Amino acid sequence: MQQLSLLLTSLPDGILLGFVYGVAAMGLTLIWGVMDVINLSHGPIISLGMFGTFFIFIKMGINPYLGLIPVAILGLLLGVAIYFIAVHRVIDAPHLSSLLATFSVNMIIIGIATAALTTSPYNVDFNMGSFDLGFTTILGTRLIAAVIAILVTGGLYFFLYRTRPGKYIRAVTNNRAAAELMGVPSTQILALSFGLGTMLAAISGALIATFFPFSILSGAGYELKSFVIGVLGGLGNPVGALFGGLILGVLEGAIPAFMETSWVPVIEFGLFVIILLVRPNGLFGAKE
Amino acid sequence: MAILEAKDISSGYGEVQILWGASLSLEEGKLTSLVGANGVGKTTLLRTIVGLNKPWEGSIWFEGEDVSKLSAHAKASMGLVLVPEGRQLFTDMTVYENLEMGATAQRSRARMAESFEKVFTMFPRLKERRGQKSGTLSGGEQQMLAVARGVMADPKVLIIDELSLGLAPVLVLDLFGSLKKLKDEGITILLVEQNVQMALAVSDYGYVLAEGRNEMQGPAKELINNKEIRSAYLGI
Ligand SMILES: Nc1ncnc2c1ncn2[C@@H]1O[C@H](COP(=O)(O)OP(=O)(O)OP(=O)(O)O)[C@@H](O)[C@H]1O
Ligand SMILES: [Mg+2]
Repeated sequence: MQQLSLLLTSLPDGILLGFVYGVAAMGLTLIWGVMDVINLSHGPIISLGMFGTFFIFIKMGINPYLGLIPVAILGLLLGVAIYFIAVHRVIDAPHLSSLLATFSVNMIIIGIATAALTTSPYNVDFNMGSFDLGFTTILGTRLIAAVIAILVTGGLYFFLYRTRPGKYIRAVTNNRAAAELMGVPSTQILALSFGLGTMLAAISGALIATFFPFSILSGAGYELKSFVIGVLGGLGNPVGALFGGLILGVLEGAIPAFMETSWVPVIEFGLFVIILLVRPNGLFGAKE
Repeated sequence: MAILEAKDISSGYGEVQILWGASLSLEEGKLTSLVGANGVGKTTLLRTIVGLNKPWEGSIWFEGEDVSKLSAHAKASMGLVLVPEGRQLFTDMTVYENLEMGATAQRSRARMAESFEKVFTMFPRLKERRGQKSGTLSGGEQQMLAVARGVMADPKVLIIDELSLGLAPVLVLDLFGSLKKLKDEGITILLVEQNVQMALAVSDYGYVLAEGRNEMQGPAKELINNKEIRSAYLGI
């Protein structure tokens, strides 16, 4: 009985958070799907998104939700730059090369940011009120973050399925040589996809910063969650990522009702391994 | 004047050289066939012409311009279009979307509505199945789609690698019929085909490739009556 009330208290929070995880994972999974690159600089870019919210809100006094727009644009540009500087040359090389290349970017961002911002926690004191549901209260920031995450997913879906550049991304994902033969400039499309992936990472970071404290190292944890979610939703399947995020959110909301919170990562990564073993294409299918 | 010319092309994969100075030249508005045994480098030559492989030596000229160093997408945008071996459809995308991708270049996009009408008249089957994922089409339907996708590009030169592979004879006849129609519209066509007899029968000119080199060339009517060709490729 007590567990049930605990569950009711923590589950809604977990679910709302799950949508935001979903956006982060969508970025990782989009890049993997399009170019078979695991972006190991995903985490620090999430952190940079968090600092985006910090600077825009604390330093410039702009509403963090409005601040998502510059964060998204900068995230996109940063991704395009990373693509051309670090990824393009190794795009056809074995996976290890792109892993090392993006890991280097990861180290560079962390190094610079540690020098400039230290690794001590930052906090964005931002309040959107709360809603009392009787059995639990929900923070306004979390609710809005979840709504924005759903809108972003919808926007990504619309982009990929209803616009020309989006369809080019799917075509390049499907068969890069054939896309070239149709006149699609595949290198530009790869750069755009990488940019969109980092944009999603930055947006998720910017949203998380509205309710959790963070440092430049915080993104790493969300990067790991993105892996779990990517595998749940099927790597290379952006829309599956939202559901994967939701599942992870539910787990994070539910587990603390039954055992110590420290078990959460154990169960998450146990699940990760099991799914890789039994359903390597993810629960929701996708890429073979 | 030749609309497309490949001069003394050498190319290959990694260290392995496949083409040893192969040449061909397409007369505008004509249908040309490229034949040769399996593995002699026909596909490699086509890939090199359109820019998927880089020529090691030699040059490629399209409409009087040296296009040897251009990327595949740049050449496609100019109207030099390859329907690749093995179809290479966007299997996760619908029939309609595949066709839409065919019309990517500025010049083909401007005529997209017209092109849709054209390919749907040519292949009514594709119209019926336009919402279906192309990966779930039958082999014959996939081949139709591959050709139709090339036509959507509104090509000046349409290169088709293996038109009839694995298709029922009736369908092969249909496809050859469609090819003739495209030629009548003024599209220059280069065809690689296992069915040498049929290919030469509809062609104006033919090239025979052997071990990465030109072995023979001439008007298709002459080739089809040539003794060596009859015994080597037609089995007569
Ligand atoms: N990607 C590749 N890497 C290495 N070798 C290749 C590659 N593609 C083709 N080859 C080799 O190049 C040679 C020529 O192949 P190509 O596909 O051009 O022949 P083809 O004339 O089109 O044959 P077919 O009639 O069977 O289609 C073959 O020996 C083949 O094994
Ligand atoms: Mg071939």
